[in-house]
Amino acid sequence: MIGTVVRVGLLRMWHGRTEILLTFVVPIAFFTIFAFIFDEQIGLGKSPRVDIAIVDEDSTELSREFVTALAEWETLRVYAPAGYQEKLFVFTAAEPARELVLAGILPLAVVVPEGWSGSLANPDAQPVGLQLLADSSDPVATQVVTALLRQTSGRIAAERGRQQLEVLLSLSPDEFAESPMSRFGTPAAIEVIDLFAADKANPVVSMYAAGIAVMFLLFGAVGNSGTLLEEEDNQTLDRLLCSNLTMNQLLAGKWLLMTLVGIVQVTIMFAWAQLAFGVDLLGHLPGFAVMTVVTAGAASSFALTLAALCRNRAQLNAVAVILILCMSALGGSMVPRYVMSETMQSFGKITFNAWALDGYIKVFWRNLPLADLVPELSVLAATALVLFGVGRILARRWENS
Amino acid sequence: MMVSDPTTTRDRADSESALRIRDLVKRFGPTTALNRAGLELRRGERLALLGPNGAGKTTLVRCICGRSVPDSGSIEMLGRQLPPSGGRHELGFVPQEIALYPDLTARENLDAFGRFHGLTGGELRDAVEWALQWTGLADRADDLTKTFSSGMKRRVNIACGVLHRPLVLLLDEPTVGVDPQSRDRIFRMLEELWRQGTSILLTTHQLDEAERQCDRIVIIDHGHAIAEGTLGDLIASTVGANRRVVFTLAEACSELAGFTVRGDGRRLVAEVEDVARDLPGLLNRIRESGGQVSDLDVQPPSLHSVFIHLTGRELRE
Repeated sequence: MIGTVVRVGLLRMWHGRTEILLTFVVPIAFFTIFAFIFDEQIGLGKSPRVDIAIVDEDSTELSREFVTALAEWETLRVYAPAGYQEKLFVFTAAEPARELVLAGILPLAVVVPEGWSGSLANPDAQPVGLQLLADSSDPVATQVVTALLRQTSGRIAAERGRQQLEVLLSLSPDEFAESPMSRFGTPAAIEVIDLFAADKANPVVSMYAAGIAVMFLLFGAVGNSGTLLEEEDNQTLDRLLCSNLTMNQLLAGKWLLMTLVGIVQVTIMFAWAQLAFGVDLLGHLPGFAVMTVVTAGAASSFALTLAALCRNRAQLNAVAVILILCMSALGGSMVPRYVMSETMQSFGKITFNAWALDGYIKVFWRNLPLADLVPELSVLAATALVLFGVGRILARRWENS
Repeated sequence: MMVSDPTTTRDRADSESALRIRDLVKRFGPTTALNRAGLELRRGERLALLGPNGAGKTTLVRCICGRSVPDSGSIEMLGRQLPPSGGRHELGFVPQEIALYPDLTARENLDAFGRFHGLTGGELRDAVEWALQWTGLADRADDLTKTFSSGMKRRVNIACGVLHRPLVLLLDEPTVGVDPQSRDRIFRMLEELWRQGTSILLTTHQLDEAERQCDRIVIIDHGHAIAEGTLGDLIASTVGANRRVVFTLAEACSELAGFTVRGDGRRLVAEVEDVARDLPGLLNRIRESGGQVSDLDVQPPSLHSVFIHLTGRELRE
């Protein structure tokens, strides 16, 4: 009897290919995606390089030596303006580099302030530390560069120490403590200046809220679009299309409904994030509104197309779970994209989630004006239009059979 | 139960067609679902479309509704050639499935489908109220339809297809899965529509429905209409007025001239013109061949015998 129960179960599974897919293939797909994300050995590229700008306001021999040594790290990619041919580009003032970080072009800028070398050489002077202008939405980059700054400054200190060894040996311990070399023996002082988080109550939550909101926006839209397949199954679609309703009107109505529901869904999520976690929704309403409308519209088109592609609700659910989880993983809804390899980060850009998240980050994290959302809004709006068009073409199968 | 009066219906039937289908062909790959199918539904008429499973009934109905585009042939409604899709405002369609939103109330379903059929404002409100009264569901108007019995759902299902008061109504097996009381109720509803001038075409597996509820019958098989007419016409043109006599024997026999052996050999079937005259002779022949009759059944000609005569199959085969 038990054997029969098992046999029946296996036969049913065999007849339902979708179940087999969910049981065996999806875990493998997810393992592969997360392996790509976390394991650089089997990933499509090396661990991510950190883009930085270097500012040398000190402009001394020691500071030049320091920035040159810093730029030699393979982990770092030093910013240079387009068309710049020299080996290393170094800003002489902090402001342009600061602007680059604020605009989200670079996550970090290293500033060697004026007086840095002098403070090292003069034990009586006020210590001047290195500065790291940071976009702390990428905390990994900040930590990596902080460590590299310490290591680089330590290496230079050791080199200077060796050069002055003879002098050092002739000094008494008291004299050494007062000598400039004593500064080289201590770790470099580094001041991390977070350019974004300082005035935010809970900055990280806004990113996670966006990530989760976009993922559930997709799930919600797909759930709603499945009504088309239910209507096909119980002949309600036949009845609807025998009335004055056209397929264009039906799809437009479904799309509008899904978009409205999506807008409400995301708004409730962010409202909760404001109430519970202090995310500043009210302070970013215009950006939030346009991002949410366009994102919800694109999610609705995606869901409609998927429904038009699938033969029944079970197939839609299976395909949607796989696609949405993959897109969410790649696009940064589950894991921040900055922990991924460069290749995976680039690959993630093909997903809907990545563009939506980038837009929300610009709004909530970088406080950028609406004009700066044009790339994300354009991609999402184009996605909405193209997918709606594809869905409309696929829906022709419902019009006449 | 309403029994139609052929004389009355013939008087009602206008010579002009409500629906005229000619030489309809529809192929799905190598399968020909409709093979030069044709029929005529006269104005003010109730026409039953009968056929075994796979005969092409549903495809024909879908073509009429514009949900399936025929490869060739023509469909005229009320004297007007129908386009492949659209342009069917005078047509009402009631699908075989319960095509309702189960999580809406009866009133909300009626309101939605009324709007889809172009009704608005007071016209819509009146139509919904009429439908609730017509279906006898006014007291359940605000209950979700998923809580309804099968018969109640069927009634709402039909009502959603007639809110716009179509002149021609197609019903695809409107009484599937309902109890006899609900069937009676549904046919009383349809009779009301018919009396108001709606021409009705219904597909059914229930021969008694076709016999008693419809004016004429079309039998379709292999995608082609093989017979059309009143029950009397069909009987006269196929099995004739002969009675069918079925003898049940105590023991099985092999063969006997003039009889057809059925089942396990214990049933002999013969057709007779005059029962009183011919029956004694048949009994004698069975007795002389060694057979012992334990029971007999005299069957008048029916749509069932017509159907088997024409298709060689039971309706549900």
